[in-house]
Order: sequence, then structure tokens, then C-alpha cells
Amino acid sequence: MKLAILYGTETGNAEMLAEDLQSALEADHEVSVANLSDIVPGDLDGETFYLVVCSTYGDGELPASAQPFGAALEAGEPDLSHVHFAIFGLGDSAYPDTYNGGSAVLAAALAQRGATMIGDRVTHDASGPDLAEDLALPWAEAAIAEAATRLGAAA
Amino acid sequence: MTRHVAIVGAGPSGCFLAQALLKARPDLAVDLIDRLPVPYGLVRYGVAADHQGTKAIARQFARLFERQGARFHGNVEIGRDVPLSALRAAYDAVVLAAGLSGDREPELAGLPLAGVHGAGALTRALYDHPDAGPLPDLGAHPLILGNGNVALDILRLLAKTPEELDGSDLGPRATRWLADSGIETLTIVGRSPAAQARFDPVMVRELGALKGVSITVEAAPPGADDAGEKVLAALAQIDGTATGPRRIAFRFGLTPAGVLGEGGRIVALTVTRPDGVAETLPCTALVTAIGFRGDGSLPTEDGPGLYKAGWFARGPRGTIPENRADAQDLALRILADLDAAPDAPGKSGAAVLDTCRDRVDYAGWGRIDAAELAAAPANRCRQKLDTRAAMLALACRTEETQP
Ligand SMILES: Cc1cc2nc3c(=O)[nH]c(=O)nc-3n(C[C@H](O)[C@H](O)[C@H](O)COP(=O)(O)OP(=O)(O)OC[C@H]3O[C@@H](n4cnc5c(N)ncnc54)[C@H](O)[C@@H]3O)c2cc1C
Ligand SMILES: Cc1cc2nc3c(=O)[nH]c(=O)nc-3n(C[C@H](O)[C@H](O)[C@H](O)COP(=O)(O)O)c2cc1C
Repeated sequence: MKLAILYGTETGNAEMLAEDLQSALEADHEVSVANLSDIVPGDLDGETFYLVVCSTYGDGELPASAQPFGAALEAGEPDLSHVHFAIFGLGDSAYPDTYNGGSAVLAAALAQRGATMIGDRVTHDASGPDLAEDLALPWAEAAIAEAATRLGAAA
Repeated sequence: MTRHVAIVGAGPSGCFLAQALLKARPDLAVDLIDRLPVPYGLVRYGVAADHQGTKAIARQFARLFERQGARFHGNVEIGRDVPLSALRAAYDAVVLAAGLSGDREPELAGLPLAGVHGAGALTRALYDHPDAGPLPDLGAHPLILGNGNVALDILRLLAKTPEELDGSDLGPRATRWLADSGIETLTIVGRSPAAQARFDPVMVRELGALKGVSITVEAAPPGADDAGEKVLAALAQIDGTATGPRRIAFRFGLTPAGVLGEGGRIVALTVTRPDGVAETLPCTALVTAIGFRGDGSLPTEDGPGLYKAGWFARGPRGTIPENRADAQDLALRILADLDAAPDAPGKSGAAVLDTCRDRVDYAGWGRIDAAELAAAPANRCRQKLDTRAAMLALACRTEETQP
């Protein structure tokens, strides 16, 4: 099973987290990293497990780098029923009404196109005490373990 | 041959630029120079003390120095300690990312008067900037002039109860000053109609969650674009909030005309209403949050190998995310220019800074940072050192003991 970390960012925190995850996972897996701004939904395949890391901007919206991807999903393009993903959100509880809205929007849009979400959406709070990587690494490892059984022997 | 890039100013723009340059070209020598002994510019001294989530971007910037190989040179003021011409001679490219530290002055008949304060000067005093003046006496009825997020930050801090500042990095002096402020009413006055206020709706709604305030919003005339609708909706949502005695009033569409004083101190702001009628707004102090300007110490023209970034380039508009997008574009331009001159003569880089006394490197900042975190009282996340002397005593320690 190949891994691809996809990030949506505006000020770079999600990008940094994506790179941290890659460093932590690459000893045991083949891992690529891409900005959501550089791919389209049609690029997603069924052999890769996608770890999506996405922040929140505006009023609970997608960050700039994820907006074209989000808009393409919204436009109702490809069927993603072969795609498996897990998602991790970055946000800030100083925005209580829209806390981590970005990752929620993206998860819903992927599911809407038929993609299967693995594990729970885990979120990081920039105003909280935890470091994002301390939450994201266990999230990724758990999701990868579950995905390995679901995606089958391709691992 | 190593190419050298100097970035003047280690605020968000300078840091994002260094990040983009080093990501594309890890072999570049990138030096971030700041007149303060500490990095990160307005992330440390502008972003509100109670918005720690926004300040968390500093963790990303730390990577620059810890992993990407950028070097920090603090306590070095370009134009004073090192002339810009010397810097340009020593580097392949010099980027001015020095921000805008001066307050834009209001044009009001009757100035100068005591009791009139710029938002930059006030926030620097609140946030323990080493070059800040003392915290002023605002009296019971301060007036805030301005319709942007800086005005809202000041309004919110002045309105908060002491408990609402738990978890912030507000220092002991500012904490005491706020607790003893005796503020009864806070009036925020904008020149434009409500629908054109440059408020972030999220920050407007944040006021509705305050624990000790009563909020009134002057009725807005209809007719707004989408962004305006969001601001109006947020204002309508907080209008009528009644959780405590401190009164907050939003007024719009008032063109400031002048100030009235007694004994050399402000007692009122005079304004003209949209219907042309003059109105006198009594106040005990006026805080102006109407923009920022440069201090004139650095040139604003570009030249060969000389670039501008961030607020210094664009003016005092735009949040931290916008600086990142701009910095990525500028990095491409600088890299293209460097590539276009492959045979440029070799440059000496940071050696030009060697004459600067008490220069602070990244390890020195690390000692300041660690000391500030360790000194934080129970309800604070940090206690800043508030003088240059205290910062330098820590930061330059090892250099003194190992000559
Ligand atoms: C009060 C306030 C609150 C804000 N709150 C937010 C917020 O909550 N969220 C948000 O996204 N944005 C906020 N902003 C906007 C944000 O701070 C700016 O977009 C950003 O800081 C601009 O970055 P900069 O690097 O251009 O300038 P700065 O952050 O000002 O950095 C400039 C640096 O240059 C240094 N310098 C200046 N002159 C020299 C010299 N001659 N030699 C060497 N060094 C020099 C300064 O010491 C400083 O460190 C706020 C701004 C203000 C004023
Ligand atoms: C202007 C602005 C608006 C934001 N809006 C929200 C929001 O509505 N909800 C939320 O949970 N976080 C919000 N955040 C917090 C960011 O999502 C958080 O800081 C995150 O770590 C940024 O990651 P990034 O650098 O990858 O973009 C906002 C941050 C900024 C600067």
C-alpha cells in the first residue's frame, strides 16, 4: 500500500505537519507529499491510501491551497468510490463557531463523491497545549493499520 | 559559489520569504536581520496577547533556523548599526521586510493634545516591546477611532475582565493596568458606514462572548456587498449583548473633524454625521487605529538586488496569510534574478555584520525564549522580558564567557 499525504494550507502549518509525517513514516512506507493545489480529484487512485491534512480559514472555510480541489469536488466531477482516505484538521478554538470547519467540509465533500473515510477525523487546536505532530502521528498510524486490512494485500 | 541573501526584518514576511527561498534552494545563505534581539516582528508584538493560536505560527518559523539553515542576527538595525549600502555590497540580494512601525497620524484640528495615542504605540506598551513608552491613562471613557481589526483587538482587550485574559501572554504591568483601568464606556468610531468596516466578522462575534459588557451597535443603513453583509450580520448578532457593566458602543459614518482640549488634554472628538450635522463625542482619551507608516529610516525605492516584502512593500494591509503568498512570489523573482547573473562576483555575506556589538544569534533567542516560558505565572503562557538589557544579558551570555 502506497501512502500519499495531501495538505491544504494557508500559512504553512499543514505543510510542515505533512513533511513531519512523511519523515516519521518513510522508514516503513513509500510516502509522497502533495499540496492539494497541485492535484485534481481525478488524480486519486484506489491503490494509494490518502492521509489528508487540512486547516481552516475565513468562516470555517477551506484554506487557499485547498479551495480549487474543494471546488472541483463540489462541481460534482469524478466518482471516487475506489478512494480511501483519513483526514486530520488544523484549526483554532478561538474561532468556536467554525472550529476546524475546513477539514469537516473537505471530508464531507470527499464522502459525497463516494470516497471512503477511514478512522475518525482528528483535529488540532492552535490555541491548545498539544503539538500537531503529537496528535497526527498516532492518527496516521492507526489509520494506516486499518487501511492495510481494508485495502488488502497490496500492502 | 554560495549566493548570499540578507532579509532586513524577521517578521512574518521575512520568515516566509526565507522559507520559500531555502525550500527552493537549500544551498543559499539566508540571513534574517532584526533590530530587536528577538525574532518574529508583529507575531510577538502586534498579534493580540489573547490570540495565542495565531502566534503559534512562530513554531513554523523556528524550523527555518533549526532545520533549513537560515541564520538570525538580532539587535542589528540596518541604517544605524550597518548602512544599507554596506549590506548591499556584501550580499547578492537584500530584501527590506522591515514592516511599518509608525502610527499614521490623524488629521484633526486641535492636535497635539495629551491623551491621544496611536494604536501601534499602545499595543507595543501593552505587549512589553522594549522600545515602548509607558502605558497611558485612558480614563473612564476612551474612544477608539478606526474600523479595522487592530481597533477591534484594542477594544476587546480593554473590555475584558482579568479572568478572560487567562492563558494569554499579557505581562504583569499591562495586567495590572487593565485591572485598574476603571473604564466604563468604550466607543468605537468609524468614518465609513458599517457595511464598509474592515472588521473580520469572526472578531466581531468574539466580542459577543465577552463576560462583562453591554454592547450597542448604531443601526446601519441598508445596501451592502457580500463581505459587508457578513460584517453587518456579525454586528447585528452582538448588538444587545448584556453580560456586564462595561458599555461598548459602535458608531459609524462619522467623519472626524477635530479634537477639543482642556488644560492641554483631550476632552472630546468632534465629528460630522452622514446627514451633515456636527456632533461632539466627549471622551477621556482617543486611541487612533487608522493605519501605520514607515519611520523613514529605510529607502522605499527598489534598486538592482534590492527588494521589498510584506507591509513595508504593500502598506499596512493584509494578514499573516497574505504575506506568505506575497513572499512566495517574491522568492521566485529573486531566484530568477540570481540565476540571471550566474557570474556575479563572490560576496562576503554576514561578515559585514561582524562589527555589530551584542549581536544575538538564534541560540541567544533560544535562551530568551526558554527563560520567558519558564517565568510564566500560572495563568499565563509566557512572561516576556521587557527590556533590551535583560534580553541581551541572557542572549549574549555565552559569547562573553567564551571570548
Ligand atoms: C496590532 C496588530 C495586530 C495584528 N493582528 C493580526 C492577527 O491577529 N492576525 C493576522 O493574521 N495578522 C495580524 N496583524 C497583521 C500582521 O501582523 C502583519 O500582516 C505582519 O506582521 C506583517 O509582517 P511584516 O514582516 O511585513 O512586518 P513586521 O511583523 O512588522 O516585521 C518587521 C520586522 O522588521 C524589523 N525592523 C524594522 N526596521 C528594521 C531595521 N532598520 N533593521 C532591522 N530590522 C528592522 C522589526 O523589528 C520587525 O521585527 C496585526 C497587525 C497589528 C499592527
Ligand atoms: C484569518 C484566519 C482565520 C481562521 N479561521 C479559522 C476558523 O474559522 N476555524 C478554525 O478552526 N481555525 C481558523 N483559523 C486557524 C487556522 O486554521 C490555524 O491557525 C491553522 O493552524 C493554520 O494552518 P495552516 O498554516 O496550514 O493554514 C484561522 C486563522 C486565521 C489566520
